[in-house]
Amino acid sequence: MGLFILRRIVIMILTALCLTFIVFVLTNLQPNLEKLAKTQGNVRMTDEQVATWLEMNGYTDPMLSRYGQWLGLLPGWTREDAEGNVTGRCISRDVPADVAPERCGVLQGDWGWSTVLRDEVSAIIGTRLGLTGILMFWVMLLMVPMALIMGVLAGMREGSRLDRSLSTVSIASTATPEYVSGVILIAVFASSAVGLKWFKGTATSAMDGITFENFTLPVVTIALYGMGYIARMTRASMTEVMTAQYIRTARLKGVSFPNIVLKHALRNALIAPFTVIMLQIPWLLNGVVIVETLFNYKGFGWTLVQAASNNDIELLLGCSVVAVVVVLVTQLISDVGYIFLNPRIRIS
Amino acid sequence: MTHPTLNGRPVHPAARMYAEECKAGKLSRREFMARATALGVTAAGAYGLIGVRQPAVAQPAIAEGGDMKMQMDVLPIKDPRISDFSQIANAVRGTLEYLVEYNNDGSIRGMLLESWEISEDAKTYTLKVRPNAKWNNGEPFTAADVARNIERWCEAEVPANSMASRMASLVDPDTKMAGEGVIEVVDDMTVKLNLPKPDITIIPGMADYPAAIVHSSYDEALGKDNVGTGPFLIESHEVGVQCTIVRNTEHEWWGTEVYGGPYLDSLQFVDYGTDPAAWLAALESEEVDANYESVGEYIDLLTDLGFVKSEAVTTHTIVIRPNQLAEVDGKKPYEDVRVRKALAMAVDNAVCLELGYSDRGTTANNDHVSPLHPEYADIGPVERDVESALALLEEAGMLDFEHELMSIDDDWRRNTTDAVAAQLRDAGINVKRTILPGSTFWNDWTKYPFSSTNWNGRPLGVQIYALAYRSGEAWNEFGWANAEFDALLDEALAIADADKRREVSAKMQQLVRDEGVTIQPYWRTVYRHTREGVVGAERHISDEIHAYKYGFAA
Repeated sequence: MGLFILRRIVIMILTALCLTFIVFVLTNLQPNLEKLAKTQGNVRMTDEQVATWLEMNGYTDPMLSRYGQWLGLLPGWTREDAEGNVTGRCISRDVPADVAPERCGVLQGDWGWSTVLRDEVSAIIGTRLGLTGILMFWVMLLMVPMALIMGVLAGMREGSRLDRSLSTVSIASTATPEYVSGVILIAVFASSAVGLKWFKGTATSAMDGITFENFTLPVVTIALYGMGYIARMTRASMTEVMTAQYIRTARLKGVSFPNIVLKHALRNALIAPFTVIMLQIPWLLNGVVIVETLFNYKGFGWTLVQAASNNDIELLLGCSVVAVVVVLVTQLISDVGYIFLNPRIRIS
Repeated sequence: MTHPTLNGRPVHPAARMYAEECKAGKLSRREFMARATALGVTAAGAYGLIGVRQPAVAQPAIAEGGDMKMQMDVLPIKDPRISDFSQIANAVRGTLEYLVEYNNDGSIRGMLLESWEISEDAKTYTLKVRPNAKWNNGEPFTAADVARNIERWCEAEVPANSMASRMASLVDPDTKMAGEGVIEVVDDMTVKLNLPKPDITIIPGMADYPAAIVHSSYDEALGKDNVGTGPFLIESHEVGVQCTIVRNTEHEWWGTEVYGGPYLDSLQFVDYGTDPAAWLAALESEEVDANYESVGEYIDLLTDLGFVKSEAVTTHTIVIRPNQLAEVDGKKPYEDVRVRKALAMAVDNAVCLELGYSDRGTTANNDHVSPLHPEYADIGPVERDVESALALLEEAGMLDFEHELMSIDDDWRRNTTDAVAAQLRDAGINVKRTILPGSTFWNDWTKYPFSSTNWNGRPLGVQIYALAYRSGEAWNEFGWANAEFDALLDEALAIADADKRREVSAKMQQLVRDEGVTIQPYWRTVYRHTREGVVGAERHISDEIHAYKYGFAA
């Protein structure tokens, strides 16, 4: 078991290295760097000024060397201008040249500086990921129990009227993308067009404090989409279990139907949905891009959009690392959880 | 009766002349106010000159305190002189103040300057410093601070320093700095500007948003934490998210006894992106008390929803312009005046106003001088003439060329640009529309070969020309360089009398049209909506947010 987890962690680090390297290469293509120089310096710079700017800000070092600097394996770049002022990767207003460390990268705990949001990458990702985490927590809290209940109810008597109607609902909700359901929900429940105005059509104030009014719509929008999918999976798994031999035996023994479902069928039926639920977490991390934009909730999805559309190299790298860690950690949890749910599976 | 001038000196003769013109109906009251107050006459004194009592502003009592929220883009803080958006200045305006302030009635009033006086030949300016003004670190605000800031503005070598073009007549063309002896500190409270040539735009230029006054310790890297003179401090500033300014209780602000305020405990700007639907949602869900601006169909929508509308008739506009220096596939398609003229001729400006801005404004004539500007010369309207346009394109051999017309993705700018594209296509010209999101559009806005840009109004027509149409200026997005125009502009900038300046302006306007510099379809009336009970937060004529005036009704 320990070995298994260790191996997974090594894979995680390797994947993170590969992904960040790809992102690094793409964001450091020459046209992207020129664009960056103009946004950071000023839009009317001449080509020579752009070249000087790139040189003075360390973007002319070889690609591999700069990647090494970001990792913290190689010493950060330093430049000296005409007046003898030393600037460098590790030198800032608070950390002057004479006390600056030689290396400052991920290994030293320095995730770099966001050029578009003008703040430490670690601080931005910390805040934004936290906000998305809150959103995801409430989504899971709503989505998972609802989906399981729907799935179990639908799957315990295959083909019944209840099964048909619940299946219709879950297929409809999965088939509606967030940007459609979100707009419909806002129009019906938040705008003066219909006049219900139960909730708020924006979640900006939810960043300071969650209320029922400002957080319901984004949570429901994401939850609806995922709910149908998990419910379908649970139903399939449930119907299969309900046809198993031991369920028939239990019925012949005279166990009541609620007892059969709750005590005998449920645990076995939940094995497959468990994996699906764990897979929903990385998916949510991407899915929030649309919902966060729609509801103007500035979480991880919004950060990703800002970083990508402004070629913010270090912020994008930070986002990539977060994405890799989230995907692989949830997979690890799902694998380990599987062992406890299904004793037939062994990890060698 | 208080004295008609700010400093108790006699009224400038030109102001009296303007008053006669105004009374004779040759000059609108708004123009008169702008010009007379720029010459150092108080607002009340200016009204007195034209025999009108200053209108009492019916404003309900403002409650002390309160926290207000307002929708506005939150952009990275830059050194004021290189700031390129009103929103950047608005975020810091509560802390970094201005020498003078432009107001909705067209008047200019003193802020960190108590008064100013302009000699008859418009070559000597005497600036009097506000006596009780202090920096929020306790130091007094003196004439040296004024001089130092004007010197900073004159540093033309600093990339993107747009103040240098506003102060162009103070700048020595050789050293690219303020000329020797031009800025003279007379005593602690007085600065004298000795201009080498007459210039009438200096005071209006000081009211513009990049003209915020900074402390000697100013450092761009300090961002929100710089020392200022204003009644607020920037508590937090997160790009793209929010900016909060709070009242500085440690600091005794000079303005309290002069103009009143501040009233609010805090004012928060919240960024809702560029989609006006999100701004509406923000107001509707009571997350903000006011929006920054209301546009297009949302103006009526917000009024119908019961929000209070305030409007300002402005010289704000949009230009849809080719860049003469831009290269497309190795050629410079817009270097040819025939191509540029053809584009302008193929467009009916009234259609742009109707489709792009729901007719909330007046049509313009591709020359960027408005009837609101004192020197406006009526040289007749421009007409749509598709046949001649096509003939010109054929002559230039550009009939098959596909124009890529770019705009930002928003409401009115996109719609207006769409209206231009549609009319060009109707005329038989190939157009490809490219719509860029707000986050990337501005990265290269001056470089796009053919695109639209919104322009804020300025009190004088020559100011816009000096800022954006003079050869080689930082904001000359047209890539236009014309020696004849530059010479005319220099001439115009020296003429204080608007009637005489009008003759030169007529030539410049004609030149801008003849050269097909831009399509400039209309002048905007601009709007803002606030919740009931918000006071003092009316839409400002040049998009400034004077936080010290904002408050809630008592």
